[in-house]
Amino acid sequence: MNSGAFRFVSRVRGLFGQKKAESEFIGEMQMHLQLLTEKFIRQGMSREDADSAARSQFGNTTLLRQRHRESRTFLSFSTIFQDVRYGLRMLRKSPGFTAIAATSLALAIGANTAIFSVAKILLYERLHVAHADQLRMLRWTADRHNAVHAMWGDFDTVPDGEMMGTIFSYPVYQQMRAHNQVLEDLFAYKEDSMNATMRGKAQRVNVAMVSGNFYSALGTRAQLGRGIQETDDDVPGAGAVAVISEGVWEREFGRSQAVIGQTIDVNQSHFTIVGVNPRGFTGAKNVQQSPDIFVPLSMQPLVDPKDKKASLLDDSELWWLNVAGRSKPGVLDAQAQAALNVELAAATRATIPVKTGDTMPHLVLVDGSRGLNFVGRTFKKPVYVLIALTGFVLLLACANIANLQLARGSQRQREMSVRLALGAGRGRVVRQLLTESILLAALGGAGGLFLGYLGRNAIPKLMANPWDLNQLNVSMDWGVFAFASAITLLTGLAFGIAPAWLAARAEVSSSLKETSQTTTRRRKGLGGKSIVTFQIALSTLLVVGAGLFLRSLFALDSIDVGFRTDHLILFEVSPPVQRYGPGKDVQLHQRLEQGFAALPGVEGVAPSWTAYIADNISNDDFIPESEPDSNDHHGAEDVNAVGNSFFETMGIPIIAGRGFGPQDTASSQRVAIINQALAKKRFPNMDPVGRRFQTGDDKRVWVRIVGVCADTHYASLRLPAPPQFFMPYVQQPDVGGMTYALRTQLDPSQIGPALRHVVQQADRDLPVIDMRTQREQIDANIQIERTFAALTGAFGVLALALACVGIYGVMAYSVANRRNEIGIRMALGAQPGQVRGMILRESAWLAVAGIVVGVAAALVLTRLIKSMLYGIEAYDPPTLAGGVLFLLAVVLAASWIPARRAAGVQPTEALRHE
Amino acid sequence: MSTDKSEVLQGTLDLMILKTLHALGPLHGFGIARRIEQVSEDVLTLNEGTVYTSLLRLQQQGWIDSEWGTSENNRKARFYAITRRGLKQLAIETENWKRISGVIGRVLRLEGGKQL
Repeated sequence: MNSGAFRFVSRVRGLFGQKKAESEFIGEMQMHLQLLTEKFIRQGMSREDADSAARSQFGNTTLLRQRHRESRTFLSFSTIFQDVRYGLRMLRKSPGFTAIAATSLALAIGANTAIFSVAKILLYERLHVAHADQLRMLRWTADRHNAVHAMWGDFDTVPDGEMMGTIFSYPVYQQMRAHNQVLEDLFAYKEDSMNATMRGKAQRVNVAMVSGNFYSALGTRAQLGRGIQETDDDVPGAGAVAVISEGVWEREFGRSQAVIGQTIDVNQSHFTIVGVNPRGFTGAKNVQQSPDIFVPLSMQPLVDPKDKKASLLDDSELWWLNVAGRSKPGVLDAQAQAALNVELAAATRATIPVKTGDTMPHLVLVDGSRGLNFVGRTFKKPVYVLIALTGFVLLLACANIANLQLARGSQRQREMSVRLALGAGRGRVVRQLLTESILLAALGGAGGLFLGYLGRNAIPKLMANPWDLNQLNVSMDWGVFAFASAITLLTGLAFGIAPAWLAARAEVSSSLKETSQTTTRRRKGLGGKSIVTFQIALSTLLVVGAGLFLRSLFALDSIDVGFRTDHLILFEVSPPVQRYGPGKDVQLHQRLEQGFAALPGVEGVAPSWTAYIADNISNDDFIPESEPDSNDHHGAEDVNAVGNSFFETMGIPIIAGRGFGPQDTASSQRVAIINQALAKKRFPNMDPVGRRFQTGDDKRVWVRIVGVCADTHYASLRLPAPPQFFMPYVQQPDVGGMTYALRTQLDPSQIGPALRHVVQQADRDLPVIDMRTQREQIDANIQIERTFAALTGAFGVLALALACVGIYGVMAYSVANRRNEIGIRMALGAQPGQVRGMILRESAWLAVAGIVVGVAAALVLTRLIKSMLYGIEAYDPPTLAGGVLFLLAVVLAASWIPARRAAGVQPTEALRHE
Repeated sequence: MSTDKSEVLQGTLDLMILKTLHALGPLHGFGIARRIEQVSEDVLTLNEGTVYTSLLRLQQQGWIDSEWGTSENNRKARFYAITRRGLKQLAIETENWKRISGVIGRVLRLEGGKQL
């Protein structure tokens, strides 16, 4: 060990036992002095002379003690404790200031912490597997002449016809896996919703069908039992084993070890549980939620058969499977992508017929460490906007405290001057003030962390559907803690540096000599007012932002969707294809419909393919007789198959012709009702009632239009009511799962058990899925808008409160300092009204300056959120004007008390006061 | 301060204390100060308090060690003793000192006019 390290260690040791070392050293010095004195006395000096001679020969003991103390341990450490003690004393001395500052900081840091913890899980979290950074996802892009026609799941169409997909057919996957040499072993998975019966309880679950190498490729080991193995996935239709998520293990099996070997039913197939996934494992598709059950892909033909062909494992038409792999050491992504692209083209040509003019999908290798990252892509912008907004709030809180600190700083000018005069270094004074700021920030930070902890689940709750079983839980971890600590420290420095710098600049003589008033007002005037202007500008920004989101929400909320949304309960029943083939499913739904309608309190029942305002849409060909040759793609229109009492139940008026009725049965003439938008689009200047059209797969059947109904919104509130046609579900060859709309005065909780009973009587294994009211469904559709309105509204209020405190502080301080001047003015004949006006004018100028800056910034920044608004422009004049007026009013209200105080100054008193 | 006395150079005091402890064995601060006074024959002035600063520094570097004991007139006192590391350091420092003082001596002996 070199002596530098030796020294460091002994200094670290010096941190402890300071008191003892100190007293020992004093004893040592005293003994030395005594011995020295005795020596001088022996040499013949008098007691006093010896004493002073000893002292002079020994040197300054105080200085020595100080130096000793400093070199015994680290200089900063020994004095930092002093600073902290002193700082705490100062904060205790002004509890009002401390409370306001710490509370506003706690709110700001809490908001930032909560948003950060959400952002972390939505945008930054990786899959819970070893070395997630190695994961690569296979994806393709294609143009409008894409050779791939049949797809199920994960693809996007970009407006110009470009297409992106992350799905492949099973044969293509197999071929690519066999030929792949540029990535580690390719694995595949598909997630889908299914009905499961666990411990006698039928429920809707999310199931991942995974390839046999899924667990080994991800390097995931079950926490109990085993994962899915290659041997499970060998033979199509065999391998009925399941691995359950930790959530299911906890929810359904109470973490019992005996879960292994138990049987569960998934879409009527029996599975043996062989393992429980480790905590935090969410599969490979997304980071936020885990599928409930993992089964081998070989079971797909049994649990998830598709309409025409049960098995997708030998179907080369349909592309549906997600494929990923780990990067191989030494192979660059670009090389791997090029090689796999060649493989994809070969596999595509080998498996599907490619016509001339068709183009091959082009393979792209993308980061798979967050899976498909659907959530991340969807919420990226909203989360960034929220981060920016909370950042502004934090900045505002900092400005506010800096402002208060400045006001206090001028009161403390004398204290600082005295300390400087007594020999404190400027650095020491600055450090003292910074220590106080950081202490304050730490108080706020602790409060903020606590608030962030309480609020961590508030934002996901705002964003999630209330009827969702799997709520996203945000955990507070070290990352969040580190974030909160870092912003706390930063804020402490941000609002502490200006006052500290001003204090250290103080000239000893000037501030001791002059009256505190003159110095402070000049300094305060500049720093404080510019900070207040800044605060008002930030508040303007936040208030305008809140206004825009609120107006968007109101615009969305006041949309007439075209049907009665009150007292409607929605739920789904989804019979599995194995048990309910074509025709059988229709019969089941008819039975259920009758069963529900017979329940007391039910006024109407309307099953439909697709629920409304639920981001879902069905469409199909619509080829009227009058347009003989319209076999191109604009022939497809939005469609819904519905129960015969759909229109009465939903409250959609029939404009012409008739509604559906009991006369429309499976064997009667096939009928349809179209809405006004469709009538206008496809039958301009014609009466559509009585005309016929073709739809669906069987083009020999003509469907007759018997009525025209009013327009309704379909998939979402944001999109206008689309052209649409309706057909009775009883006339369809097969319907699959349907959403029931029930009109009743009862609550879902009151009628729920009766509904479940009806379904259970028909089939013990059928769950009632996603029960919610139509209102909840609509709210869910504008969840993000709602969340934004709530959050930005709260930020706006907080910003206004902080700005109020700021402007009140500055004006009150200014009035207090100008008592003298005001007294003179009034003695010379100024009226109280004039004085009040003067103060109000002054704050109005501050407000105007701040508002101008704020509005300018808002005009620039709101353009970034244009896509998140509805029904208004980003520069929405009413919002801007309203925001400006509101702020002006708030500023004037905040300065009203100081102004009144100024007007109440008694000249004689004010002048005598000095 | 009288002009015929020299101030102690920084660092020199450390060396003197090390040598003193090496020569006389364990001593307390007062004893060290006396010894230096005696050896320097009143040529050096010393704020005796600085001895303690030096002692702390030496101790932190691990060159000396200290423990509480009883002084000759039965008082509790802290005794300082040189360590093995200190002995090594003393040898190095002594060597350095000799070399430097040799160089300085040679420089001072250079005669005027005999320029390089």
